[in-house]
Amino acid sequence: MAVSAVRKRLFEPRPSELVPKFWLWLGLMLLLIFTLAPFVYLFTSSISITPDLLSGKLLPHHPTLSNYVNLLTGQGSANYIAAMRNSVEVAACTTVLSMIFGILAAYAFARVRFPFRMSMLFGILAMQILPSISILVPLYIMMRNGVSITIPFTHITWQTGSLLDSVWSLVIAYTTFSLPFVIWLLAGYFQTISKDLEEAAFVDGCGRWRAMFRVILPLSVPGIAATAIFTLLNAWDEYVIANAFTQTYASKTLPIAIAEFVGKHGMDWGLMTAGGFVGSLPPVIIAMFLYRYIVNGLTAGGIKG
Amino acid sequence: MKKFYITQRHKDVGFALLLILPTVLVLLRIFVYPIYQSAVWSFFHYNLMDGSPVQFIGWQNYKDVLTSVAFWLATQRTVYFTVLTVLFELVLGFFSALLLNQHFRGRTFFRAIIIIPWALLTLVNGLLWDWIYQPGFGLFTVLLHGLHILSPQQNPVWLANSSSIMNFVSVADIWKMTPFMTLILLAGMQAIPEELYEAVAIDGAGFWNKLIHVTIPQLMPSILVAIVLRIMGAFRVYDILTVFTGDPQTSITYLTFNYAFRYFYLGKASAMAWISTIFILILIVIYIRVLKKNLDQA
Repeated sequence: MAVSAVRKRLFEPRPSELVPKFWLWLGLMLLLIFTLAPFVYLFTSSISITPDLLSGKLLPHHPTLSNYVNLLTGQGSANYIAAMRNSVEVAACTTVLSMIFGILAAYAFARVRFPFRMSMLFGILAMQILPSISILVPLYIMMRNGVSITIPFTHITWQTGSLLDSVWSLVIAYTTFSLPFVIWLLAGYFQTISKDLEEAAFVDGCGRWRAMFRVILPLSVPGIAATAIFTLLNAWDEYVIANAFTQTYASKTLPIAIAEFVGKHGMDWGLMTAGGFVGSLPPVIIAMFLYRYIVNGLTAGGIKG
Repeated sequence: MKKFYITQRHKDVGFALLLILPTVLVLLRIFVYPIYQSAVWSFFHYNLMDGSPVQFIGWQNYKDVLTSVAFWLATQRTVYFTVLTVLFELVLGFFSALLLNQHFRGRTFFRAIIIIPWALLTLVNGLLWDWIYQPGFGLFTVLLHGLHILSPQQNPVWLANSSSIMNFVSVADIWKMTPFMTLILLAGMQAIPEELYEAVAIDGAGFWNKLIHVTIPQLMPSILVAIVLRIMGAFRVYDILTVFTGDPQTSITYLTFNYAFRYFYLGKASAMAWISTIFILILIVIYIRVLKKNLDQA
């Protein structure tokens, strides 16, 4: 009796579920091993000494932090730290700018009726499909010559000098490439919020602006957070544009610095894995602790079943 | 009453224009205008570095690209990589999502852990797998030696050949991007009502029947979106390849990048970018149709 009860518990799922307990945990263990093994290997390599690594030892026999000390204080550390600072600046500015522009536009698309609303929205969404490489060449020339944006019907022009090798070239490019995605996710999220709340605010005498800031935005914090996380992680990760626009450590970002590692440090895998681990730590920590927002954002942003 | 309606509506239109104006200005100047410009340049002989004059040459750039061996080799490898990775990521991501959608102790922990590969920098992922594939002392070789699959005398250089490199790059990409697939499919699965499973369970449906009659049909919109997003991502592969190999013929993006920023053949690079963009544009149709369906439901 007892055996068959255990058997039933292990191999027969509840009616509402698919996978029996036994297979569930077997699958989860495999998933855990395959997910973590390479990442753990990255870390253990970074705390190993070179002779251990070159003799094929998988676990450090003489754990050491010397690779990290070397990375942050040794030769070439100034470059790595400069790249870290550039990455933080680029990711932060890109996220803030994309969110300001994106929230305003997404609100209009989701909540206000105006002519050509749908065609414009689809036009913007279509931009998401274009790979960055297809407009990289004209963008490069534009950054070299400086960007100018004129507000129509006025003489107000915003003109910059050459932006090559400055973090601003990356901020401008990343913000532009993020906007379609940001608007798509946010518009989807704003649409899920009940119209009644807004109309109640109008009845209370709120204007459009106040209704937006007092009612819709506070309710959209999860969606806005998810979108901001995506923008941040993308800006931190981007490599193609950064590779084209940056020339010195005045603007090189972490991915560029890490790519140069591979060329420069040849066999020093301890130092390289340490550099990779430190560079990946911010996005990994953000993603792990805020994964709930990421999943919810994906659910709400139009990708629903 | 009618008069009030009209003024309110006009106010709304003005308000909306004010809100979308910054975005539209930026996108027109920094996205749409360069699209137009690169289309124009693709018909010009435009080499930045060799001092030759810029001149209109019609379809010559397109002819050059379409008849070059390098372009077709790169296309073939990119398509191979895209199909292989998206297929594996879909299957693995689907089953991972299936597991993580169940109720069990520690679910939050598992869901947070599987995000790690996806959050890793793409470049670091390249570096990590380059290290794993090192001949002699990398994890891959050491494991194969340890399991006696490879005799101690054998010590292959895994990343020596540009064609087989695509398989090794695919493994790295599958490891990194499967979690993304899992997240999207998991989001879709959470929206499937439990009653549907209970209903077919009464009819005695087991694992495969539940999968085929409930999960997959209900999940179809999510699956389509996930596939299209991943195809677009995989088709742009570049970062990892620059770490694994110096051979630009391994992907279209790599080849185009080299034409543009190594040799500064801006005209030819624009033509190549346009040809590969048209491959992607074919996907737009599918993508927008899926999106429209989703937006209409919302």
